[in-house]
Amino acid sequence: MSEVKTSPNPSDAVDNGSVGIVVPQDFTSDQPFTFKSGQTIPGFNIRYETYGELNEARDNVILICHALSGNHHCAGRHSPDERKPGWWDNIIGPGKAIDTNKFFVIGTNCIGGCSGSTGPSSIDPTTDRPYGKNFPSLTIHDMVQAQKLLMDHLGVQALHAVIGGSMGGMQATLWAILYPSFVRRLLAMATTAREGAQAIAFNEVGRQAIMQDPDWNQGDYPEEGGPRVGLSIARMMAHITYLSDASMDRKFGRRKRAAVANGDVLNFDIQFEVESYLQYQAQSFINRFDANSYLYITRALDQFDLGHAYGSLEAAFAPVQAETLVVGFTSDWLFPPEQNRDITIALLRAGKRACYAELATDLGHDSFLLESEELYSLVRGFLERPAEAVVDFSI
Amino acid sequence: MKQPVEKRTVDMQIIGEWVEPGTRVLDLGCGRGALLTYLQQTKQVTGIGVDMDFAKISACVQRGVTAYQGDMHEFTREFPDGHFDRVICSHTVHELSDPTDVILEALRIGKSVTVGFMNHGYWKNRFDSLLRGRKTRNAVYTTEWFESRPANPLTIADFEHFCQVKKISITRRVHLMGDWQKPCLLFPNLFAGYALYELSR
Repeated sequence: MSEVKTSPNPSDAVDNGSVGIVVPQDFTSDQPFTFKSGQTIPGFNIRYETYGELNEARDNVILICHALSGNHHCAGRHSPDERKPGWWDNIIGPGKAIDTNKFFVIGTNCIGGCSGSTGPSSIDPTTDRPYGKNFPSLTIHDMVQAQKLLMDHLGVQALHAVIGGSMGGMQATLWAILYPSFVRRLLAMATTAREGAQAIAFNEVGRQAIMQDPDWNQGDYPEEGGPRVGLSIARMMAHITYLSDASMDRKFGRRKRAAVANGDVLNFDIQFEVESYLQYQAQSFINRFDANSYLYITRALDQFDLGHAYGSLEAAFAPVQAETLVVGFTSDWLFPPEQNRDITIALLRAGKRACYAELATDLGHDSFLLESEELYSLVRGFLERPAEAVVDFSI
Repeated sequence: MKQPVEKRTVDMQIIGEWVEPGTRVLDLGCGRGALLTYLQQTKQVTGIGVDMDFAKISACVQRGVTAYQGDMHEFTREFPDGHFDRVICSHTVHELSDPTDVILEALRIGKSVTVGFMNHGYWKNRFDSLLRGRKTRNAVYTTEWFESRPANPLTIADFEHFCQVKKISITRRVHLMGDWQKPCLLFPNLFAGYALYELSR
C-alpha cells in the first residue's frame, strides 16, 4: 500500500470555497487487468485527483464517477491561470455540498478513457503502438473494477459515498451492487439502469460520424491526427442531447453573429449563435478527446442494462446495502425522470433504503451540474445525515 | 403556534399505537417526514414516504426518512399485494384527486390502512360555511381559500358511507373532539373535529 498524498494544499486556495491548486496523480498497476469480456491487458494506469484529507479510519471517502465526456478533474485548478476549474467545482470544496473539510473526495478517470487512464490511445506494450481497435471491449463493469483496484491501492476501507451523474451514475449504481459492504451511500443523478433505444441511437450516430471519417482509418491514426471532423460532429450532436429546447432558446434564441446580424446572408457559414456555440464545443472537445475512446465508451453505455444482466432490476439490487438517493431532472430527455424513478422503485421493491427526488429545471440532462441551492441542500443532507442501521426486508 | 403542533402530536400518537413494532409502513403524503420519524423512533418501523414536493423530500432525506418524490397513484401501482404492513393516509385524503383509487390501492398493497382526516361535519366547521359563509380554518388548516390547495372536504358520515359502498371493513375508529384530544363518543359527525380509521379488505 502506498502513501496517500492529499494533493490540494489549503494555502494554495485561489478563491474562497475552492480546493485550490490540485495535482493529478497516477495509479499504475503492473498486474494484468482482465476485462469482463475475458480479454486482458498487461497493466494499466488510472489518473485521479483527491481533495480533502483521508481520516484515520480511512472511511470518509467519497468517490466521484464522471460522465462520458468528463474526467478526473472534478474540482480546483491545475494552475492559477487554468481558464476553468474542474467540472463539478460548484459542488465540491471546503464548505460546499460535498464538503472537503469533512470528506476525502476522489475523482477518478475511467479505464478506456483518454485523460490519463489506459485506453485505446495508450501504447500497447506488446506492439509499441496505440491499442486502437485492439483495445479490449469495454463495459461499465470494467470501469468499476479498475476503480476498486485504485481504492485498494489507496488503502480505502469503505466508501462513505459513491456519486455520479449520467454514465457516472451507472458506475456508482454498479459499485453498490458489486461491492455492497464497501459502499455505504449511493448518490446517482440523471442516470438509468438500462440504456434505452433513443440513447443507443444517439450514440450510434456519433460512432458513425467518427467511423465514416476517412481519417479514422479503422482506428489506426497518429496521435495528433484522427477523425477530427467525425469526432466534432459526434460531439455537436451529443451536446444537443445534454441540453433542452428551452435552455438553448434562452441562451441563444435566434441571435445571429455580429457579422451577419445586419442582413440575411444566404450562405452556409455560421450565422446563428447556437451554431457558433456547437462549433466551439466541438473544437475544444476534439483537442482533448480521443475518437477511439469515444467509440469504446459509448459502446460501454449501450451495453449497460442491469435488469437484463441480473435477470431483473430487483435481482440486480438484491445485494445492495447502501442507502441510496436518486435524483432526476424534469427536463432531462436523455435519461428522463422515469428511468431514474425505475431505479428507486426497484430498490424499494427489493427492500432497500432508497430516496427519489426530482428537481424541476429546464436545463436538460446537464441539469445535474446545475448551480442550485436546492440541489446542494439535498446532497449535503444526504451525505451528512447520521448513518442508519441496515435493515433488509427483501420480498 | 403551539396549538397545531399539539394537534398533530395527538394524531401521531394514535397512529403510533396502531402500528406494530418493526413493521413496514408506507406514508402517503409524508410531508417533511415527521410522522415517519416518530414511528421509526418509537416503533422501529421501516418507513417509506411519498410526497410531491421537492423541499419536503429534501427534508426527509436530511432527517433519514426514506422518501419518494412523485405521484402516489403511480407509486402504489409498482408494489405487489400486501407488500406493506400498513399504509397511512394522514391529513391527505381530502386533497386526493381520486380518493377511491388511492384507498383501494392502499388496501391492496397494505395489510391494513390508516386514514386520518379533519371532519368537515364538525359543528364549528358547519358554522363556518353556514353562518360565516367562509372556508373552514383552524389551528392546522390555517390558510385562506386563495392560499390553499384544491380540497375535497369530507365528513365522518361521508367516510363511513364510502367504506360501506366499497365494502371496506373498518377495524378501528377513533373520533376526537374539537380539541383533537378528548375522545368524542356521541354524534361524532357533529361533535368530532378529527377522525382516524383503520381499514382492511
